[in-house]
Amino acid sequence: MAALIRNLGVRIASAALTAKHVVPAGTAAFRMQSTAPVDAKAAEKPTVRKPDAAARSSLSDFGRYVAECLPKYVQKVQLTSGDELEVLIAPEGVVPVLQFLKDHHQAQFTNLVDIAGVDVPCRKYRFEVVYNILSLRYNARIRVKTYTDELTPLDSACEVHKAANWYEREIWDMYGVFFANHPDLRRILTDYGFEGHPQRRDFPLSGYVELRYDDEKKRVVCEPLELAQEFRKFDLSAPWEQFPNFRNANPPAEEVQPAKAAAGAKK
Amino acid sequence: MAGREAVKRAVQQVRPILSVDREEARKRALNLYKAWYRQIPYIVMDYDIPMSIEQCRSKLREEFVKHRQVTDIRVIDMLVIKGQMELKETVEIWKQKGHIMRYWKESQDPKPTDFLSKFIQGVN
Amino acid sequence: MSLIRQALARTAPTMQFTARRWASSQDGGPLDPSTALARPEELDQRNKLSGKITVPVEVNLGPISGVPEEQLKERRVRIHIPPKNAMQSGTDNINTWQIEFDNRERWENPLMGWASTGDPLSNLNVKFGSKEEAITYCERNGWRWFVDGDLKPKKERVKNYGINFSWNKRTRVSTK
Repeated sequence: MAALIRNLGVRIASAALTAKHVVPAGTAAFRMQSTAPVDAKAAEKPTVRKPDAAARSSLSDFGRYVAECLPKYVQKVQLTSGDELEVLIAPEGVVPVLQFLKDHHQAQFTNLVDIAGVDVPCRKYRFEVVYNILSLRYNARIRVKTYTDELTPLDSACEVHKAANWYEREIWDMYGVFFANHPDLRRILTDYGFEGHPQRRDFPLSGYVELRYDDEKKRVVCEPLELAQEFRKFDLSAPWEQFPNFRNANPPAEEVQPAKAAAGAKK
Repeated sequence: MAGREAVKRAVQQVRPILSVDREEARKRALNLYKAWYRQIPYIVMDYDIPMSIEQCRSKLREEFVKHRQVTDIRVIDMLVIKGQMELKETVEIWKQKGHIMRYWKESQDPKPTDFLSKFIQGVN
Repeated sequence: MSLIRQALARTAPTMQFTARRWASSQDGGPLDPSTALARPEELDQRNKLSGKITVPVEVNLGPISGVPEEQLKERRVRIHIPPKNAMQSGTDNINTWQIEFDNRERWENPLMGWASTGDPLSNLNVKFGSKEEAITYCERNGWRWFVDGDLKPKKERVKNYGINFSWNKRTRVSTK
């Protein structure tokens, strides 16, 4: 028993030592509270970026506030990779949510940085559309995510952010998501006469057609694809689980609980 | 299997793309056809393609008839949207001659259908 | 509207009073210019599109997916689980269902001896979480499909060397 206590004491001391080296001054209270050796262990891995706790809490507070203000559209709020806020909304709420985030004085997400698309063919609504927005005033970036399928139109964000014009054209071209009320929806990256949407998961890497210059006709002609060498199939998927120790290390997304649930959990 | 049969009969409430009923979708398709039909002489002239107006019109008809069995309103709308975009690309001369000639698939040999030509080409 | 009011105020001070009265009689909150300036047909269309329509759940996206017609008509999709590696590898990569298209003609490239093909879909690899998802995907996109290698539960067997020589196995051969 005595040996065990001694052991424990040594461990706590070492924990305090390592913490002193890594954690900056001003966190004495924090160190006093945590007697478990967990923190010491976490501090031993400096390669893993540790999200700022203050930023995390302020972001989740903001997410909670957005969810409270727009309960009709916001379906879920989550933090990904530690400190990136994602607001998951219903497809009909694109314009109101972006407008709210742009015009609210405490948010001012006035810059639309990018619109991205994701294709997951196994889902019922197979496309995800991700709006990355930036608030210069508060130096914050958040993501607004929504979902759709091949036939469901999304409202165009052009009336909120002028920048959405080309991004939406790109999504339309690459994924085939139709944007209603877009001022000028047409192809942007593919060639005229191109059929299909190349960023979909079920679009083959080689495409379906090939073009060549025909010397007799003096113009470019389009023919079905013929590969001189077929793509070889390498099974590159790993048969073993790569990092079993880290199976639950960093959850890809942590849900931000709504205010009531959070208060209940605290009690 | 029974579940899939049930899905075949089931209906759902969805957001419309352009049209709210079959009649409107049909009108849109007809309007698109007319627009193409009227533009064909200008297309033939502008792009200087080696096709007559009649050939172009029969090709136009062929392209529309290809989708005659489509009944879903939203699919029809999507086809109309794509056709409209293509018409705009054509009329504004964003396309080139090769793009227009792509509809005829000139450089592709038709696939053999009878036994002897299949045998000669070595295709099953 | 405030712009109009300002302009009126600036140009004709005598009209200021009428303008203000006109504005106050009209005021019912801020006007949305896109609604106020729209033609009645446009408003009608907008109202119609804001509602919902009833369509069958089953839909064939073949015409709008951009897959060439000849591929769509002739090909058949095989839905399967990839088999386990015959060597002593792990099984972490065989939990998903995949779709694969039937084989097309291949030929030897006369110049280099490569295996040539005219099949764009041979290199397609789409994974699904379950068989049903894959079937739904194929039906929506108008592919013909069949499910291959439905997993049958294996009979449980005690894996013990000694069992092979148990009293009821009749493995002992009489020496007489």
